[in-house]
Amino acid sequence: MEVLSIENLHKRFGDKEVLKGVTLKVPEHSIFGFIGKNGAGKTTTMKHILGLIKGDEGEIKVCDEKVVYGQTKTNRYIGYLPDVPEFYSFMNAREYLNFCGEITGLDKSTVRERSDELLCAVGLDKEKHRIKGYSRGMKQRLGIAQALLGEPKLLICDEPTSALDPVGRKEILDILLSVKDRTTVLFSTHILADVERICTDIAFLDGGSIKLSGKLDAIKGKYRSDEYIIEAENDEAIKVLLEEFEGLKRADNMSGKVLTFKEADVSLYKVLGYISEKKLPVIKVERLEPSLENLFLEVVG
Amino acid sequence: MKTLYAFTKKEIIDQLRSNKVLVLGIIFIIFGIMNPAIAKLTPWLFEKMSDSLAESGIQVSKITVDALMSWEQFFKNIPMGLIAFVLLESSIFTREYQSGTLVLSLTKGLKRHNVVIAKTVVLILLWTVCFWMCYGITYIYNDYYWDNSIARHLLFASFCWWFFGIWVISIMVLSSTLAQNGSGVLLGTGGVVFAIYLISMIPKVDKYLETMLTTGYKLTTGASKVSDYNVAVIVTLIVSVIFFATGIVAFNKKRL
Amino acid sequence: MDKIREYLPFIIPLAIVEIILLAVTLHHIFTHENYKRGNRLLWVIVAIVGMEFIGPILYFVLGKEDE
Repeated sequence: MEVLSIENLHKRFGDKEVLKGVTLKVPEHSIFGFIGKNGAGKTTTMKHILGLIKGDEGEIKVCDEKVVYGQTKTNRYIGYLPDVPEFYSFMNAREYLNFCGEITGLDKSTVRERSDELLCAVGLDKEKHRIKGYSRGMKQRLGIAQALLGEPKLLICDEPTSALDPVGRKEILDILLSVKDRTTVLFSTHILADVERICTDIAFLDGGSIKLSGKLDAIKGKYRSDEYIIEAENDEAIKVLLEEFEGLKRADNMSGKVLTFKEADVSLYKVLGYISEKKLPVIKVERLEPSLENLFLEVVG
Repeated sequence: MKTLYAFTKKEIIDQLRSNKVLVLGIIFIIFGIMNPAIAKLTPWLFEKMSDSLAESGIQVSKITVDALMSWEQFFKNIPMGLIAFVLLESSIFTREYQSGTLVLSLTKGLKRHNVVIAKTVVLILLWTVCFWMCYGITYIYNDYYWDNSIARHLLFASFCWWFFGIWVISIMVLSSTLAQNGSGVLLGTGGVVFAIYLISMIPKVDKYLETMLTTGYKLTTGASKVSDYNVAVIVTLIVSVIFFATGIVAFNKKRL
Repeated sequence: MDKIREYLPFIIPLAIVEIILLAVTLHHIFTHENYKRGNRLLWVIVAIVGMEFIGPILYFVLGKEDE
């Protein structure tokens, strides 16, 4: 079942067409990485989902309910964390969650119970100070706590890790990973390492439309080539291998001690057999995994 | 209703913790004390001045101070209180636009009109408390030193001025839903009040306008009748309601 | 002397609220590093010079940073 589906979404700001037909489906209980360059339209798309911007064309459905501009009812399914979350700085974390609970219409005991649990989960349970003095990382963590307060079916995070240091990033990713069973996570980012760490599904947004989307494994599998590399310790071994097998090529590598070949041209097992027979000093033989970065560059161009 | 209450509570906590209530409260207390103090000082000031005035040929007769002089001060000073109020509260909406704090509340299902209503309620509440506190302090001093009963229609005259403040708040709310920053709100509010003030210079038009309500002092001296104010009160009521309603409509359409 | 005694009901409460207002303003100035405009010295001077109430208003309207 899809928690979120976007169909052919168009948006134009003045004479600039930001979204040119975005189509996207987010399956339940996925961690969905929404990837794109800065200015690709990620935030704009997310604001459409929340009904904060009126789309020119297209349809968005959250849990099979249509999103309308303004005060959309679908927001009761959604927890939202903006890229730079701003809270009432004169409150402390608990007071803020209380306030959120009250405006959502949750009853007092539920709010207390959940805020205890959530503040603990994001590591702010011991924090008594007002939000005024919070660091960016703390604000992001409080942002996740407030977004999860209403037990949303869909958690939308806009660039949750972009402004953080490596420690802060890891904390946020761990929290997102830990809520996977409770909710579906859609987060936008341009940091591909984060995506590879936790995402189950991805979509590339570029030039106002989705260039590629699906399960991360499936995409990787689809783009997986039958290319291998061999790295040797010395040039002798490289030369021996190049003489023996015709399909081998030197890779564009600084050291010059790396060879590449395709399974179709040369059998991997023959090469391995030859290496072991001649006892050639190799460092590694590796099947080339398509890195997200390569994929991204290939798709986005 | 529950969400409106929650947002109003948040707004009041904000007002308290940002010292706004304290600062405004003290300012209105100061005015409340200053009104009778200035009245009480007047004869002494005249005495000091009379020597120099006598040299230039002006005769100053001995003046006796009464409650009316103190109430005159009250009606002279309360505009300054209102200005301080508008200055301090001009960013009550706009600072939330600039910081983006509203986005989270609204995506949580807070109805937009509740934001406008809550902030309006808090503004009216604060103005009401400040105004009548100032009135009360002046009243007590006057009662102690002189006799309040010589001031005619005192309560109605003060009500008019308080109601003028409500009208100004309605302009603040409307311009807050249209402007992006506090200066825009100040400009809008100041502009409208000044425009009405200019129009009120036209004879015969003045008693239909909101600014009529600021002339309540004339009531206390008997220079005007209560019935003179009927039209202005009704006009102000209607205009204020229209402004608040327009504010809600404008806020519903605002891009945040 | 009698003159002063006559004005005591005004002077005492006025002095008390003025001092509270000034204290609150100065406390706010000294516990904040950043201001919307101006610097600490400027605002301390403004608050003291205009202490009857103008100074504090100016500070809270123009100087106090938005939180």
